[in-house]
Amino acid sequence: MSDSRRLFHLDPLRRKLARQEMRDELAFHVEERVAQLIARGLSPETARAEAIRRLGPEYANTGEALGRSAALKERRLDVRERLREFGDDIRYAVRGLATRPGFTAIAVLTLGIGIGANTAIYSAVDALLLRSLPFVEPGRLLDIVQTSGDDGKQPWSYPKYTFFRDQQRSYAALAAHSSSQSILTGADPERVPVEEVTAAYLPTLGIRVARGRDFPMELDAAPGAQRVALISDALWQRRFNADPSVVGRSLGLNNQPWEIIGVLPPGFRGLSGRAEVLLNLSARSAEELNEPWSMEFSLIGRLKDGVTIEQARSEAGLIGPRVYDAFPMAGGSLTTSKAPEKWSAEARPLDTIRVASGLRRSLLVLFGAVGMVLLIACVNLANLLVARAVARKREIAVRLALGAGRGRLVRLLVTESLVLALMGGAASLLVALGGTRALSAINPQETLRVQGLTGGIGAVGFEGIRLDTSALVFTFVVTVAVGLLFGLAPALGATRTGLVADLKDGGSGAGFGRRVGASRRLLVVTEVALALVLLAGSGLMIRSLGNLLNVDPGFDAHDVLTLRLSVPPGELAPDSMPGFYEQLQAEIGGVPGVEQVALADCPPLNNGCNGTIMTFADRPQSATGNAMVGVHWVSPGWFGVMRVPLRRGRGFSDSDRLNAPKVVVINEAAARQYFGGEDPIGKRVAIYQGGFHTGAEVIGIVGDVRYGTIDSTARPDVYIAYGQSRLSRMMVFVRATGDPSALAPAVRAAVRRIAPYAPVFDARTMPSRVATASAQTRFSAVLLGFFAIVAVSLAVMGIYGVLSFAVAQRTGEIGIRMALGAERGRVLALVLRDAATLAVIGLTIGVAATLAMTRVLRTMLFEVTTTDPLTYVGMVVVLGIAVMVASWIPARRASRVDPVVALRKG
Amino acid sequence: MADAPPLLKGTLDILVLKALSWGPMHGFEIVSWLEQRSSGSVDVDDGALYYALHRMEERGLIESEWRLTGNNRKARYYRMRAPGRVYLKSAGASLERYARALADILALRTG
Repeated sequence: MSDSRRLFHLDPLRRKLARQEMRDELAFHVEERVAQLIARGLSPETARAEAIRRLGPEYANTGEALGRSAALKERRLDVRERLREFGDDIRYAVRGLATRPGFTAIAVLTLGIGIGANTAIYSAVDALLLRSLPFVEPGRLLDIVQTSGDDGKQPWSYPKYTFFRDQQRSYAALAAHSSSQSILTGADPERVPVEEVTAAYLPTLGIRVARGRDFPMELDAAPGAQRVALISDALWQRRFNADPSVVGRSLGLNNQPWEIIGVLPPGFRGLSGRAEVLLNLSARSAEELNEPWSMEFSLIGRLKDGVTIEQARSEAGLIGPRVYDAFPMAGGSLTTSKAPEKWSAEARPLDTIRVASGLRRSLLVLFGAVGMVLLIACVNLANLLVARAVARKREIAVRLALGAGRGRLVRLLVTESLVLALMGGAASLLVALGGTRALSAINPQETLRVQGLTGGIGAVGFEGIRLDTSALVFTFVVTVAVGLLFGLAPALGATRTGLVADLKDGGSGAGFGRRVGASRRLLVVTEVALALVLLAGSGLMIRSLGNLLNVDPGFDAHDVLTLRLSVPPGELAPDSMPGFYEQLQAEIGGVPGVEQVALADCPPLNNGCNGTIMTFADRPQSATGNAMVGVHWVSPGWFGVMRVPLRRGRGFSDSDRLNAPKVVVINEAAARQYFGGEDPIGKRVAIYQGGFHTGAEVIGIVGDVRYGTIDSTARPDVYIAYGQSRLSRMMVFVRATGDPSALAPAVRAAVRRIAPYAPVFDARTMPSRVATASAQTRFSAVLLGFFAIVAVSLAVMGIYGVLSFAVAQRTGEIGIRMALGAERGRVLALVLRDAATLAVIGLTIGVAATLAMTRVLRTMLFEVTTTDPLTYVGMVVVLGIAVMVASWIPARRASRVDPVVALRKG
Repeated sequence: MADAPPLLKGTLDILVLKALSWGPMHGFEIVSWLEQRSSGSVDVDDGALYYALHRMEERGLIESEWRLTGNNRKARYYRMRAPGRVYLKSAGASLERYARALADILALRTG
């Protein structure tokens, strides 16, 4: 039965199917035949004509149609067919990837880590730098500060704030606010963050209370107003079990009753990002608020409609000096040596001060670094794909010979890389999820403060880092971009090849030739250069970290436990304070495992201790100017507990009491800076805090302790004895005989026995405080180090791949050389020289790029210059060795080539 | 190749079956197989091959199936069925006898 007759016996659907099957079968046959004929030396056109002729008259029409349709297909396809074609391409790609699980796994892993790390860092950048602030129209919110000479930023006093408020015309709403800590008194005392605000605070931010009412505006009419409070949703749930009748009830704060008038919406914690309670600052007494130089308030304003940021800025510049003139400093300016610089005011969009500039810089550096890792991953994959394309060039050439358009083939190849990228993108979500969780767990408030990264608004924090829609969109965009990036170049290269040469060449010979070799070498050079940039960057950070860890902070942190307690105001009569200090120390000293105990008001490395001005009895103030000193309250035993050495004179003793002559101990920095060649012991100074403005005698000099950031040297400090100046702020320092953290519960219990009303918090060992002080540097160093390791591994893999390929290509040549008497050592050297050339070029470019790029690291480094020769030489050597190790294996393989095998194959 | 003698009628079926007795193959593989085994002296017309394949499938001597080739292309593979084996044995044997007789006759020398 002839084929055509057979078709009549079939129903139309099956007939159509059969016809289609036959066309497919013949198409396949023609392809194979064409490839065979071309390999025998025919030109593509002749080969196609011959293949069709051989089908004979019976099938010739089908065959010709096939040849034509392949060429025409491109143009004829409508959208639906294109979609189906795309589906085919995807199936083809997936099948292709499934047959090479090793390649696929490496590619997906590389991309997963590369893209995932990018998404994680992007999430941090988004949360901290990009995401719009959680207030209504945040772009219209400005933060207004006072500016003192040399770029100083100063908060406002209440009188200055009201002066500014009454003069300005730019703001629809303007509010003062200040964040602090208060003690929630009652059955279970607790320290809570609070914000004291003016009544316009919530309207300025565009926030409405969830229940109850907002502060009424008339509350701000005069100081000494009634005490009212808004509580956070969290506090309402925790302390009041979400009782709907909470409004109108009383809240005990610092031993004073506050009337709860409302509950804040869930999630809102004020500009500080932490506040549990908002209090009306007008509840303070008139004496307290009317002090013009008691500066502690920040100003937030919402622009009126139609007022630009620029107008508001210039207005602030006009009003600022008027504010300064309106409140002359008591007794004239302290800086008498030259004309005092007038203070002004500056309005800044809230968005520009959302995080400390140092943090912004670190984030951008990390973002750049992680982008580079991804770039290296792309380069590597492009390399792998070029190698694959070489293996497939025969298939590609046949398709081209059959008339497939180049565009169609590029699409097919790019689809494959896109599928690969999408698989990598999916895998990256796991990495990103882990990464964002780790980043959001960082406790930034304190970490950032002790690192000197102050500024910024608390509402923008690490806890906001999450894998949200914006991060997912970012991942998708990066994934597609990456797929195109590493897929397009090899696809374009592969389809541009010389047809006949490739068909003749069975896929084992000379390969794509010089051009592909050159492009792969270029990729490797790029990889080495990028890897060096990352390696050097992380090297510099690690050196910084090492330097930080080697800093002597001036005390011995080992075995020291610290914990804070705050005594609610009014809980203790001032006269009973010294007795309380002694009782507390005695009780804690009795705890088993406690070797020594002492008190101080502020821990070292806290970067935020209190300070003031010091004057000298034997010198006119004009000669000394503003002699700033840190002021620290300590109990007599503190220097011993912390092993702070006494350099001269004596330390405090128990006899330094209220009625005894006032005495101070200074540190070496103060002695050096303010006494020069003179002996400070016995000199009289006045300290404008703690009742010491009347003068005190310097009795001793102790070693410098770093109270600021760990990377800044100690500033002049003055120590005051608790026995001579009552202060409710205190911190317990315990030197333990064993593990200090194990002592915490027992010490807590001891405090509770003496002062059940005083919440204990922030119990941490001193070593952990020291570690926090270098956490930011450690964080950057660890992340950059990790990125660098990934980058170097990828670069090494890339070099290995290129050289292995080159060796495989040159097997014939090597065989001839060896047959002609070349020794194995020379062959080894031949390949290694090849690798060394690539490495040297890559490293040279890398050093230049690194010198240009590490400049951004400058402010993040500590006692290392961005051109640190040791780091550069070290990293170049490390990377160079890694490259040479990677090329050793292919080189050895080349030197083991058996000339007989190689020549027969060639 | 071009001067290879045309195939005798009826022999193509047997040659194709013989090729398939080595295992499933697609059309082009069968052609290549035959060309290689005969060192190029058997030149199969591609059209005739597919005509023969489809005809033998119709008769139930062979069956076909779409499968992936070694380099992931879709191709129609043919496989021998039991009736094909029987046919190859009987028709193959008679063809062999015929070919031997032909060779003997042609080997006779005149004079």
